[in-house]
Amino acid sequence: MPETNGAPKIGVYVCHCGVNIAAKVNVSEVVEFAQKLPFVTVAREYKFMCSDPGQELIQQDLREGKVNRVVVASCSPLMHEATFRRATAEGGQNPFFFQMANIREHVSWVTEDERDATEKAKALIAAAVRRVAVHQPLERKRVPVHPHVLVVGAGIAGIEAALKIADAGKKVYLVEREPTIGGHMAKFDKTFPTLDCAACILTPKMTQVRAHPNIELLTYSEVESVEPYDLRNFKVRIRRKARYVNEDTCTGCGLCADVCPVTVPSEFDEGLGTRKAIYRPFPQAVPNVFTISRRGTPPCQAACSIHQNAQGYITLIAQGKFKEALEVILRDNPLPSICGRICTHPCTLNCTRATVDEPLNIPGLKRFVTDLFPDYKLPQPKANRSERIAIVGSGPAGLMCAYELRQRGYWPTIYEAQPVPGGMLALGIPAFRLPRDVITKEINRLKEIGIEIKTNTPLGKAITLEQLRKHYAAVFIGIGAHVERKLKIPGEDLPNVWGGIEFLRRVNLEGPFKLGEKVLVIGGGNSAIDAARTALRCGAKEVTIVYRRTRAEMPADPKEIAAAEEEGVTMIFLAAPKTILGSKETGVTGLECLRMKLGAPDASGRPAPEPIPGSEFVLSCDAIIATIGQVPDIASLGEQLGIETTKWGTFKVDGVTLETNVPGVFAGGDCVTGPDVVVNAMYAGKKAAISIDRYLNKLDMRAGRELEGPYRTEYAIDTSGTPVQKQIPMPAIELGRRRTFDEVHTGYTQELAIAEAKRCLDCAICCDCRLCSTVCEPKAINYEMKDKIEEIVVGAIILATGFKTFDPRRAPYTGYGRYDNVLTALEFERMVNSAGPTGGKILLKNGKEPKSIGIIHCVGSRDKRFNPYCSRVCCMYSLKFAHLVKERTKAEVYNFYIDLRAFGKGYEEFYNRVLSEGARLIRGNIGEVTDVALSPEEEGKLIIRVEDTLAGVVRRIPVDMVILATGLEPQADAEEVRRKFSISCSKEGWFLERHPKLAPVSTFTDGVFIAGTCQGPKDIPDAVAQAGAAAAEALALIDRGFVELEPNTAFIQEELCSGCKTCIPLCPFNAISFTSEKGIAVINEALCKGCGTCVAACPSGAAQQHLFTDEQIYEEIEGVLSYV
Amino acid sequence: MSNDWEPKIVAFFCTWCTYTAADLAGISRMTYAPNGRIVRVMCSGRIDPQFVLKAFADGADGVLIGGCHPGDCHYQAGNYKALRRYTLLKRVLTEMGIEPERLRLEWISASEGDRVQKVMNEMAEQVRRLGPLHLEKASRRAQVKEKEREAVGVRS
Repeated sequence: MPETNGAPKIGVYVCHCGVNIAAKVNVSEVVEFAQKLPFVTVAREYKFMCSDPGQELIQQDLREGKVNRVVVASCSPLMHEATFRRATAEGGQNPFFFQMANIREHVSWVTEDERDATEKAKALIAAAVRRVAVHQPLERKRVPVHPHVLVVGAGIAGIEAALKIADAGKKVYLVEREPTIGGHMAKFDKTFPTLDCAACILTPKMTQVRAHPNIELLTYSEVESVEPYDLRNFKVRIRRKARYVNEDTCTGCGLCADVCPVTVPSEFDEGLGTRKAIYRPFPQAVPNVFTISRRGTPPCQAACSIHQNAQGYITLIAQGKFKEALEVILRDNPLPSICGRICTHPCTLNCTRATVDEPLNIPGLKRFVTDLFPDYKLPQPKANRSERIAIVGSGPAGLMCAYELRQRGYWPTIYEAQPVPGGMLALGIPAFRLPRDVITKEINRLKEIGIEIKTNTPLGKAITLEQLRKHYAAVFIGIGAHVERKLKIPGEDLPNVWGGIEFLRRVNLEGPFKLGEKVLVIGGGNSAIDAARTALRCGAKEVTIVYRRTRAEMPADPKEIAAAEEEGVTMIFLAAPKTILGSKETGVTGLECLRMKLGAPDASGRPAPEPIPGSEFVLSCDAIIATIGQVPDIASLGEQLGIETTKWGTFKVDGVTLETNVPGVFAGGDCVTGPDVVVNAMYAGKKAAISIDRYLNKLDMRAGRELEGPYRTEYAIDTSGTPVQKQIPMPAIELGRRRTFDEVHTGYTQELAIAEAKRCLDCAICCDCRLCSTVCEPKAINYEMKDKIEEIVVGAIILATGFKTFDPRRAPYTGYGRYDNVLTALEFERMVNSAGPTGGKILLKNGKEPKSIGIIHCVGSRDKRFNPYCSRVCCMYSLKFAHLVKERTKAEVYNFYIDLRAFGKGYEEFYNRVLSEGARLIRGNIGEVTDVALSPEEEGKLIIRVEDTLAGVVRRIPVDMVILATGLEPQADAEEVRRKFSISCSKEGWFLERHPKLAPVSTFTDGVFIAGTCQGPKDIPDAVAQAGAAAAEALALIDRGFVELEPNTAFIQEELCSGCKTCIPLCPFNAISFTSEKGIAVINEALCKGCGTCVAACPSGAAQQHLFTDEQIYEEIEGVLSYV
Repeated sequence: MSNDWEPKIVAFFCTWCTYTAADLAGISRMTYAPNGRIVRVMCSGRIDPQFVLKAFADGADGVLIGGCHPGDCHYQAGNYKALRRYTLLKRVLTEMGIEPERLRLEWISASEGDRVQKVMNEMAEQVRRLGPLHLEKASRRAQVKEKEREAVGVRS
């Protein structure tokens, strides 16, 4: 390579660094050694090379032409490389004719033996000399710095930094993840040592932030990613979390919170107080707007096929807001009084309360509301359209489909084959479970909103599909499954052998009739139970259910099984029918059964029953009801209609749209799925209605329908403190009346309903009752709001992300979490705050004022088990607490400390003041806090066991309340955040500054600064001072408008490049491309960040890196190895 | 230095993590074996396998590579590239008759001064146990190995 300043004349300057280097390294010997190295013309030593006279030495030699390249052997280049490069430049040479040998951090400070240190220093100097001899002159490139600044975290440090920068006329984005700015300081009552009210000094600053034209405040937002925008600027993506309240229109009036039925512990009050689901953390919050806490869809609602908002109406019932509860119910369900009685309630299977004791009686609560308002009306359709839709079948599928279509403005007509509408609801379910007038009323409500129902009009007989298709815009078929499956055993055709549905239909249509004295019911589903209980009500003396598995496998609702047994139904398990005995003349006389045993699980997951050969036995009876399932009646119908069917005898439909092969004809419910429960039929009706609406509007019928139907959600809900309180049983009529068709369950009373509803755990927090939107005058509430990503470009970033407090549950000796009156420091801050949950009164859990309080210092700090460091603020705030207790109560205060650290301005004076106020200080580590009393005066107290190290005795101090001076810890996500911003953390997890003394707010990433407690524990004055420093650093950077970059970019030596393209995919910054004209790689210097990965991989050595060429590193390797 | 042989170790440290950690070890006055000679690079991804070979050729008895922890690279993924090259190098060294234990790769973050101390000490001890690297002997070892392979019919 060409030399540009003549033959090398190297000057070596060895620094003593006072005694830092000279005490270990024999500097004179090193200088003597250096003098003999090739190209070295001058070798000198000096006490402090970094001082002005030290630098002058170098400059003079350069100016006099004695040297043209410089080696300084002193401290780390990370410390003073810039200093000596400047000196070299001021001496008239290119600053890159300089190399540093680190003989302090890497030699004198880490080497035991003086001899070893001296030799190691020589090796490093030899390497530097050889290296600098092949250095090249380089130019620094200037790149512009974007003038905007991002401040992350809006506690006191972030607020201060943002204000400083904004005041200087620069634009600041202030991002805060909580709904309000203010951070921890906003929670404090007074601040030490001046006892200023924290709110009084903080809130004016918060207001300033809100009003400042240069600050763009992004609360309830988090930094999603940080990427290089160019060489020196950052592209930051910010997630604006949905607060479901429009920040611009919300006036902060608070009417919404007044009506909100959901109460949860307030995070701002550290759980000592409560807030609503729609909330503002505290009245002075900035921005002064509300936020809704929504976890998403509650598990009960998600599990429901029609997504009935159970948490919504249950929360309202608990509040006594029954009318509002009804409105929430009617939002999703037009048949609530039916569902409230007979729905199989999949919601309760997913109820979080079941993990504590028992799920809520969700259908029972729904029924309670509908019973309370027997004359309620369904919502009127919001629109009217011209299209008419035909619906075949008036079961739950058809009714739901009709309702959903009517709500969308269409005019549905339902065709029903039977003389009564309702399908299986009316034919298959007995009146003692679902009174007929309940069905009639529900159907009348549907008629009232414009749905027409034509009974006695069977499809295929009274009317054809062709006619329907001709006269209606679309057709939905929901004809159910009414054909009984056969037992396929001998004797099935004997008189008085009934199918379950056949029997129930007859009773439902024609009234009870005497079936027999001794009735056997075959099957284990809900129909079997219904048939058995109906048989009893028809006058049978003895009713027995015969089931081939055991009770555990019965598909029927356990509550129904229990009710049947209560009423006198007996059960025979592990028995399968073999032959029905009797003759045409005698009728049925008995049932021959086989004993069964349970085998391996079958396809349904239940153990398969296996017959035991030779185990036949006979049950005598005079009637048999077989309830083993039904199939749709489409064997003949399907072909005639031209609709494809499946091999199971059901209609074949598209799984997403429910459309059949005939365009415009949809089908759903039991005739598609086979026999299923009411809510799933309703789901099918709703699904078909959505498809029909899209079909008629010529929209995509398939798009965005993933979340229809049941799914599972789970939330990590802390149920640890929830007392066990089982489901409240629903009142029922006495057993004596259970031989009539009177409804068995009479429903909850108001008191019972409220008590049952209060068991709800508010899984999703916001229950989506939407009461808030009814009172919000500016219409600021938007439930459909979604998270948004905003992208900004900034030239500097200040991280002020703060701390979290030590969780004393990790330190069981403190008794926290076990004893009521053990509080953390932050909890006490809230308690003692006049705006806090107790209005500033210091109170025990029982509401009384404590007579004595113990304050335990260093909880989680200065403790090898937790954190080795001192949290720096606890001593002083503990003294502040002692003062506040003395000021507000007559209680005795004990401070238990290890050392008292009152290092700040006015702190020692404050300590003396608190002492003079009568606070007692006991030096010593706490053994434990216990409630085990050893003497009468300890009874009912918390006893602090402590070794008093001044008195040299172990003492037991009984107190009423214990306050734990919990230490400061890095935020739980500090690691994630530091990665996002490419900075380092100390071992404990605090963000690492570039230099502990000289660059306390800079990081190793240029343009990223840190302020406040994210860097380490500190008090408010220090945090504010650091914020100012960080602001000044950021301002210095952006105000100059450019930075000079280290010229360590990679370059291609064109004549050596073979065009192999190895380097191209390696570059993380896409700086390398291939030019086809020359057939070689080119590096875009504006994108290269100087890592050198491409250089290491280049097979021909064509790729090189300025400041780190292969040649330079080879020289360095040879130097460290070959000096002797 | 005593007359006893002392291993020479070249340590290539990335400037962002391990080099800074070595500075921290110094600031914290953590003394360790003086055998390591640190060569600073911007990224462990800059470490050309030839640097390691050259160090051995020029008299190093051991080579240490220090980079940022996975996921922490200042340049996104240079340390992963270093890891791949290191794995390959280990195999090449074995082929050359050089014990692969003479080469070590460590992830040391800027806050882990104590780890620099520990690794430098361990490395010195390790190489001391292996004894001086004589390339001629190494080459002979490689030849013997080759012959052994031929004897069992494996061609390299």
